[in-house]
Amino acid sequence: MMLMLSLIIGISIIIVFSVYSEAQLEQKTFVTHTGQVIYTSGDILDPVYTNSTVEFDPDQYLRNFNYGRVSESKTDQIIRDFTIIAEDDKIQEISPGVFYNVWTFNGTVPGPTIRATEGDLVRVNFINNGSKSHTMHFHGIHPAEMDGVFELVGPNGGQFTYEFIAGPVGVHPYHCHVMPLEEHIVHGLYGVYIVDPKEGRPPADEMVMVLNGFDTDFDTENNFYAANTIPFYYQHHPIQIKTNDLIRIYVVNMVEFDPINNFHLHGNLYNYYPTGTDLIPSTFTDMITLSQTERGIMEFQYKYPGKYLFHAHKVEFSEKGWIGLFLVQEDKENSGD
Amino acid sequence: MEEIKKSRIRTITSGLIPFVFLIVMILYIVGPSSDLLNFGVHLPEITVEKVEFIDSEIQVLVRNTGPISVNIAMADVNDRIQPAAIEPDKSLDRFETALVRIPFSWNHAEPYTIGITLDNGVRFHKFIEAATPALKSDYQLAGFFAIIGTYVGVIPVMIGLLWLPFIKRIGKNKYNFFLALTVGMLIFLGIDAMLEGFEVSKENLSANFNGGLLIITVTLLSFLGLYYSAEKLTSRTGLTASSKPFAIGLMIAIGIGLHNLGEGLAIGAAIALGQVALSTFLIVGFALHNTTEGIAIASPLAKTKSPIFKIIILGLIAGTPAIVGTWVGGFFYSTYTAIIFLSIGAGAIFQVALIISKWLYQSEQKLVQTSIVSGVGAGMLIMYLTSILV
Repeated sequence: MMLMLSLIIGISIIIVFSVYSEAQLEQKTFVTHTGQVIYTSGDILDPVYTNSTVEFDPDQYLRNFNYGRVSESKTDQIIRDFTIIAEDDKIQEISPGVFYNVWTFNGTVPGPTIRATEGDLVRVNFINNGSKSHTMHFHGIHPAEMDGVFELVGPNGGQFTYEFIAGPVGVHPYHCHVMPLEEHIVHGLYGVYIVDPKEGRPPADEMVMVLNGFDTDFDTENNFYAANTIPFYYQHHPIQIKTNDLIRIYVVNMVEFDPINNFHLHGNLYNYYPTGTDLIPSTFTDMITLSQTERGIMEFQYKYPGKYLFHAHKVEFSEKGWIGLFLVQEDKENSGD
Repeated sequence: MEEIKKSRIRTITSGLIPFVFLIVMILYIVGPSSDLLNFGVHLPEITVEKVEFIDSEIQVLVRNTGPISVNIAMADVNDRIQPAAIEPDKSLDRFETALVRIPFSWNHAEPYTIGITLDNGVRFHKFIEAATPALKSDYQLAGFFAIIGTYVGVIPVMIGLLWLPFIKRIGKNKYNFFLALTVGMLIFLGIDAMLEGFEVSKENLSANFNGGLLIITVTLLSFLGLYYSAEKLTSRTGLTASSKPFAIGLMIAIGIGLHNLGEGLAIGAAIALGQVALSTFLIVGFALHNTTEGIAIASPLAKTKSPIFKIIILGLIAGTPAIVGTWVGGFFYSTYTAIIFLSIGAGAIFQVALIISKWLYQSEQKLVQTSIVSGVGAGMLIMYLTSILV
């Protein structure tokens, strides 16, 4: 009897103590993304240190504009041809260490930034290599049959050519419009479509920021937020700019589930052009609020060099990854004026 | 000689053959070349077993309670991503545990939700009502626990034993009433311990461990083990009629001791988990409740002349485990041990209840009589009323 009792007690004590018995190994030091210093003999759970196989490079996406294959018709109409391929079977590391089934246009979330000048003929040869129907729905002005809503493009190689005259001037989103719509959007089928005015905008260091999020556990709440997909990316890979350079950001909010998102800039204010449709800024601010697919153009210059944060002032989002840094470097040639 | 050896080998072989076939079958089903059971989705699962708040750090014990091994990807506090360390490493095999250490300057008495996200993006979390510093094991605290254990276990049982002279003076019927009262109390305590075990299991133990079946199995094992050894003890030592009541008193004391161990665990864990207000109630409640346990031990002894020191020893056997319980509960609390202790206690108590009933039956030849039935009923009622205080 006592034997049995002591056996049971012994086993339970082993269960209790097994937790504490792991030998203390060599201590390593980590400086984490929040600046916290951690000493541990184990692994680190932090986006800065996780050995990342992220297939999407936010640095490359940031300043990458796709102008298409340009040709001219006999009537001097400029034609821009794009090829966009949809897929929905990719497992991508959307935050270091976290894997999620992304649905992509041309293999990335967001899809490529499509750019044209007002009045150009945009021709998008869309191929659906996914396992479900997908479409491309552009925000902008175009005929009903080019709206990508009722003309489903079937899976496994279905094709459709979207054809319309670029307009109006501004920054617009494009996304899949197949039901259930939310599912198709939150998995990553979206991108940015920029229409430049004919006379152009003043030269600037231009970049695109898609504010997005991922609901990795499917509870209709985002687990991660980011500017350009990868949480905390620009915080440990600061965006390098120069003092007195004009910076122009095309910002598009694609966050689902949460009613609003916003964009706060540190140490500066920016001219803001809602939807980019007007060439005169509507406000000079350091804080804009964006609803779903709401977007605009921000323009600013930094006077002083240094590191400046930009992030959602809905702090929950910034603490889940929607935060970044500008590293402003002194531009000797361009200083003083 | 040869013949015996041969037949023995045959016996062993015939016993082993079914095992061989069983192994072959299992290999066939789960072996590398088998795709028989390749359907459904294996969902990874972890359980946050314990959260402790220490100096500027939150320590989280996680266990892989799913069917497949998992990788931990991220930790969060109140749904906000926090950098953290994980020891020994972030990959957990089935049932393996890891300690997640989150540097965080938490605020006293505020609620926190600790989340752990796996590499497939699924988040598991645990809610803590109020953050309080984890206790550090030192002599001072051990002494403090010992004092509480004494108040809860030892002193109330001793006070209860003071009813012994009173029970000695009363007639047979009234005496039977008190014995039956003891039975009622014990049945109540046994059920109470099992229910407590079920509650702990439901709240904190992963479904993977089959908490309910664990409780029933351990309770039955404890009951059978104690019953068997008690029978052996009373028959082998050739107890005289006068020493049998003492043996029963001893068994009651052991049973109640195991029960008090469980109570001590609850108190120690309540203090360790920072539910200090709750544990004040626990202490007062248990103290009142346990006084009645003294009566349970005293009743069978009433008709014998037991030396006073023996009675004190019985009191100590019943009471001191409460002290041990507070230590274990306060310093090494784990859901698994708590459930096992509670179940052992329940089994022990049921065993004692059965032995007293048998004893009553032997002396009276029937159990259905006013004094016994009312005694059992009164015992359960008293226990219920005092338990409201806890």
